[in-house]
Amino acid sequence: MTLIRFRASPEQDVDLSQTYDAVVVGSGAAGGMAAHVLTSQGMKVLLLEAGKKIPIEQELRSMEWPYDHPRRGEAPPGYHAIRFNEYTVRQPPYAKGSAFKHVFSYVGGWGGSDYVKNILVDEKDHPYTGTRYAWVRARLLGGKTNIWGRLALRLSDYDFKGKTHDGYGEDWPISYADLEPYYDKVDLYLGISGHKENLPHLPDSLFQRPNKLTAAEVKLRKSLASMGRTVTPYRAGVTTDGVKNKYRSKCFGRGACGRRPGGCDIHAAFDSPTGLIYPAMDTGNLTLRTNAIGHEVLVDPNTGKARGISFVDAVNHKTYEAKAKVVILAASTLESARLLLLSKSRQYPNGIGNSSGHVGHNFCEHVMGPGVTGLVKELVGAEPTLDDGKPGGFYVPRFRNLQDKQPGFIRGYGFEGGAGFSIFPDSAWNTPGFGGQFKKSVRDHAGAFIGMGGFGEVLARYENYVDLDPEVKDAWGIPVLRFHYQFGDNEKKMCEDMANAGKEMLEAAGIEVIGVDKTILTEGWSIHELGTARMGNDPKTSVLNQFQQSHDVKNLFVVDGSSHVSASCQNPTWTIMALAWRSCEHLADEFKRGNL
Amino acid sequence: MSDLTRRELLQAATAAMAVPLLKVRAAQAATPKFFTPAEFALVDEMSDMIIPTDAQSGGARAAGVAAFIDARLAEAFEKDEPLRWRAGIKAVEALSQEIHAKTFMASTPEQRLALLTRIAAAESDPKTDAEKFFGQIKGATIRAYYASKIGIHDDQRYKGNVIQPGEYAGYDAT
Repeated sequence: MTLIRFRASPEQDVDLSQTYDAVVVGSGAAGGMAAHVLTSQGMKVLLLEAGKKIPIEQELRSMEWPYDHPRRGEAPPGYHAIRFNEYTVRQPPYAKGSAFKHVFSYVGGWGGSDYVKNILVDEKDHPYTGTRYAWVRARLLGGKTNIWGRLALRLSDYDFKGKTHDGYGEDWPISYADLEPYYDKVDLYLGISGHKENLPHLPDSLFQRPNKLTAAEVKLRKSLASMGRTVTPYRAGVTTDGVKNKYRSKCFGRGACGRRPGGCDIHAAFDSPTGLIYPAMDTGNLTLRTNAIGHEVLVDPNTGKARGISFVDAVNHKTYEAKAKVVILAASTLESARLLLLSKSRQYPNGIGNSSGHVGHNFCEHVMGPGVTGLVKELVGAEPTLDDGKPGGFYVPRFRNLQDKQPGFIRGYGFEGGAGFSIFPDSAWNTPGFGGQFKKSVRDHAGAFIGMGGFGEVLARYENYVDLDPEVKDAWGIPVLRFHYQFGDNEKKMCEDMANAGKEMLEAAGIEVIGVDKTILTEGWSIHELGTARMGNDPKTSVLNQFQQSHDVKNLFVVDGSSHVSASCQNPTWTIMALAWRSCEHLADEFKRGNL
Repeated sequence: MSDLTRRELLQAATAAMAVPLLKVRAAQAATPKFFTPAEFALVDEMSDMIIPTDAQSGGARAAGVAAFIDARLAEAFEKDEPLRWRAGIKAVEALSQEIHAKTFMASTPEQRLALLTRIAAAESDPKTDAEKFFGQIKGATIRAYYASKIGIHDDQRYKGNVIQPGEYAGYDAT
């Protein structure tokens, strides 16, 4: 099937009478990678995406000036993004009873909400229940990769062998050496920008040219080096030198990535459709079915093996079956867990692949909120410079609990930050007064600020979990997830340390600290949910083996973030793709040998 | 243009411009859509006092801030928002009558400045409706002005949102 043909008639084209070699549920980073690897191995793959395919370039309009938009980038009346105080005061489902026409997660409230209104899900159609959680979802071809934050980091054996290091939780069934070749493949195939630092806890990638630092960032980098800490240019999943891919351009430093909730209309930033799915379609081995909401893994009652997926058409609400020899879930950490739990049968009364009872459990992510803002005095009144023409500012890798042992908490956190001029002088909001003096003060200070916020590892705990709500259903009649998830003492202590350490670092650099934020953002805010179907060697305490293959059902794989054993403090997307590549290579080998 | 090949430029341009963008100008309200002419005049004047024209750049009036605010309120989904504006303007007018026995616009520039200074003094902890209105109009003025052509280009002299074909701007991490 060609791309052109798909565009003409996406749904009707798909042949559901045949049995595919594999069906993949979800088209984000994990599903796109599964499609890429399996089709390049010659397997015939059906890719199901719950959302639609939208003309994303028209949606993102990366270089549109605010004043060329009728509402300066804001969504039309009737669209509402859930605010921090709503998340903290109310309980899910947050859109219940809302008078607004459409309700979005908090990401819809960032500058430029009009550019994501067709990317984020409408919370009214997609409720969830239970404890507070800021769940951000994007249902469309490519999922959240269309707007992801682009920070592309590797994990290390401090993560994979965390238990060996500090005694907590479980080690992963793999080590860095197992995954390193696949990180390399991801780097080369998709492109990554960064600067080599030779840190054992944050391994370098095969970098294309790095983004540059601003004056304030250089100042902080020099100062932190003397403390044995690092400020490195944002390691971006963005091709700065170009890759062999006709659907993508290299990055021209236009900088819209920081001005909006994300997204790149020339696809220099990785997104799954242009990076993985379109090239996979060009092999002739990939069939795409959009508007296909998977709701059950079908089981062959004779063999106990998976035989396909039952899905609901998002538009006509009818149910269809897709048949395949191998079933691969890549619907996201929470949606894949939901799908496993929904797949109840005589053989699998607790949901398929869930003999351990661990599906939905060991749910973890990153805690964020605490951060610092500083004023670099010598930059006040400086001539404006081009500071935001890049996919991100800087990253301060983890420095806690590596050689040292913190008294209050285990594991670590890193900081993401930025400094310098941007399109909107945010300091105007906090500049008192009015008139000529106010105006001049805003102008003089616009490029003199530096800010950074922490991202910390949330410990994987069995007690943090999701299950199916026995009553509430989504707009398609499918039971929704119910959250039982809260930060614990380790996260709270770590967050106190984040704020203090941030302040200390700015002060040490001779930067005036003008703001210390200690507020912990609502659970889910990092959009890094992980761990609901973890890998492990023991089928009693884990859901998947080291190849993300179900311990219970050998032709069932779950290749997204749900397989992660611990959250690390490093952003997960690059690891999700490296793991999926490794597992799908193994899968294709096993398939060819007839072992699935 | 050293490492920018023709193919790459074309690729970037066609990806970004796959479909001609519909450019819609910010509403230039000849007659206001929500405000009465008197309310509009007050908002226009007060916003321009908050961000006035100076040697560097035009102010809020030149940037069409009042027209932008008016257009947003005219289409607001939450109806208490426009009502809050109307009540705030009323409170400012009442204060103007109380201290100057004139409407805000009928007052002298010195009297307007005195009034604005008075309601701005409590910025960090506003109590009266007039004081709360200052925060409201200042916030809206900031939002509209710094996203306007004048705000971005003339005042901030923003250097970004450009194609950098060669080396990126900034410093190496050495």
